[in-house]
Amino acid sequence: MSRLFVPDPPGEETGSTEADVVIVGGGPAGLTAAIYTSRETLGTILLEQRQCGGLPLTTDIVENYPGFPEGITGSDLVARMKDQASRFGTEIVEFGEVERTDRENDRIVVAGSGREYQAGAVVVASGSVPKKLDVPGEEEFVGKGVSYCAVCDGPFYKDRDVAVIGCGNSGLQEGMFLLDYVRSVTFVEFLPEMTGAKILQDRLRKREGTTFLLNHALTAIEGEDFVESITVRDRETGEERKVEVSGVFIYAGFQPNTAFLQGVAELSSDGYVRTDEEMRTSAPGIFAAGDVRVKKIRQITTACSDGTIAALSASEYLRDGRSKG
Amino acid sequence: MALLSERDAQVVREQLSQLQKKIEIRAYLQKINCDSCPDAEAILKELSGLSDMLEVRLLNPQIEGEEAEADSVDRVPTIVVSDGENSRARFIGTPSGYEFSSLLATIIETGTEKTSLNEKSADFLGGLEDDLDIKVFVTPNCPYCPGSAVLAHRMAIASPRVTSEVIEANEFMDLSGKYEVRGVPRTVVNDRIFVEGALPEDQMIEALDKALAEGSEEQVNLMELLQADQGE
Ligand SMILES: Cc1cc2nc3c(=O)[nH]c(=O)nc-3n(C[C@H](O)[C@H](O)[C@H](O)COP(=O)(O)OP(=O)(O)OC[C@H]3O[C@@H](n4cnc5c(N)ncnc54)[C@H](O)[C@@H]3O)c2cc1C
Repeated sequence: MSRLFVPDPPGEETGSTEADVVIVGGGPAGLTAAIYTSRETLGTILLEQRQCGGLPLTTDIVENYPGFPEGITGSDLVARMKDQASRFGTEIVEFGEVERTDRENDRIVVAGSGREYQAGAVVVASGSVPKKLDVPGEEEFVGKGVSYCAVCDGPFYKDRDVAVIGCGNSGLQEGMFLLDYVRSVTFVEFLPEMTGAKILQDRLRKREGTTFLLNHALTAIEGEDFVESITVRDRETGEERKVEVSGVFIYAGFQPNTAFLQGVAELSSDGYVRTDEEMRTSAPGIFAAGDVRVKKIRQITTACSDGTIAALSASEYLRDGRSKG
Repeated sequence: MALLSERDAQVVREQLSQLQKKIEIRAYLQKINCDSCPDAEAILKELSGLSDMLEVRLLNPQIEGEEAEADSVDRVPTIVVSDGENSRARFIGTPSGYEFSSLLATIIETGTEKTSLNEKSADFLGGLEDDLDIKVFVTPNCPYCPGSAVLAHRMAIASPRVTSEVIEANEFMDLSGKYEVRGVPRTVVNDRIFVEGALPEDQMIEALDKALAEGSEEQVNLMELLQADQGE
């Protein structure tokens, strides 16, 4: 049986809208920041648009988070982080999307879903969502063969052939999960080499029913009512071919959730938040942590690390009477 | 073994303490030919211990045939959440994983006087001239599903014109096949209006309103309807 998930009630019941620190996003980065700020006895409110957990909720097993030698399911791991944040007094508000941030004198206002919160410092840990590839057929077949969540939809593809687009860590890992259900997985990678961990590559190569199309671009997803095939182009020869599949799981990069920061803090051209090493953004009092930042390695451990630094920087900022930033 | 940690049990207790009326959960289960019934039973038993306002009745549709018929039960497990009069929201299959949170939200919505829907939705439901039968297909490990599931149930609880079923798609592959489910959440209204993925409340209501106003018998994809609007 899947672990029973118990949500935290929205903030209305508890009512507070004032905090020392407001954290946006309840993934690993936000939850870690919350553990630190609330343990420092700073009043902390964490706002999460859905239920806490972030991307690890969409993965089956996490094998590289230290302390769990046998691995741990993504949802179990983040449930523990959430318990830990609550234990130190973080007020967690789920199902409250942040739509806007503003500055009012020396307070920062964070608003959305009909509520408004004020804080001395804000930690943005809103992560990213899987990127659409914008190939013909992708949008048309969402829910009809195109999926961005293997743990959600994998069971519908029992004994069928599927494709996984993207051979980074998440693609390889979710491909491994899918192999428990499906007959075959065709992995399609744009680059000449897979970027996912070597151990995952080795394991997958040993499994029956796996095919790897490296240096191939997905050019179309086709079918009548449901996905029936994909077309891929060999980037070396230019040759195109069809692969018959009934499912396409897309793990080809991410896009950051930063709409509410537009014009408030400096973003990169693709929308990630720029910070310095102390997780300070260009806006005084606003810090950023985790996948939402401009950075190279996006993992749970590095999200937690960012969360720690952002929390302690925010704490220092509040202590120094907002003189830095 | 307890299914909920002490902390989770405490959170559930607190949430259930909001109940203003007694809630009856009628769980139709059977011992044979139902792999998931023991899990459903364990979950409901655990829940029933957390509030005096909650009565869980375990019923066997073969034995309690009359009640099963009154509740139009045609498969197990079926879990009907009722305040005695209002029994329009139900779960088909085991509410484990994220769907446990949907069950909890449904119980609270049924057992409190105030709707959690916004005014626009309430207006829409108040003006309904047709009956709506909503089915939401979910899986227990889908973090996006409770949003759609709870929205449908809230609509059913708020309006006598609406009934809703949250269906564990994995457990009932026959239904998933019939309703062409290849991804969750998938919401199907009156067997012809559908949407893939979790639409926020405002968009869902807006699109449904449009789809019903068109009054055709054709299949309608709510997402396409919304996108067409944006294109205008
Ligand atoms: C399929 C898959 C498998 C993975 N496997 C591993 C693995 O095995 N090991 C590993 O180390 N990493 C893994 N990763 C990467 C890892 O999940 C991320 O690096 C990590 O989750 C980043 O954490 P985060 O807190 O920065 O962001 P996220 O986890 O993305 O969390 C951000 C949170 O912010 C919320 N949010 C967004 N916008 C708003 C808003 N406007 N208002 C309120 N809330 C908002 C989101 O709902 C989300 O809960 C995997 C990723 C994927 C997709």
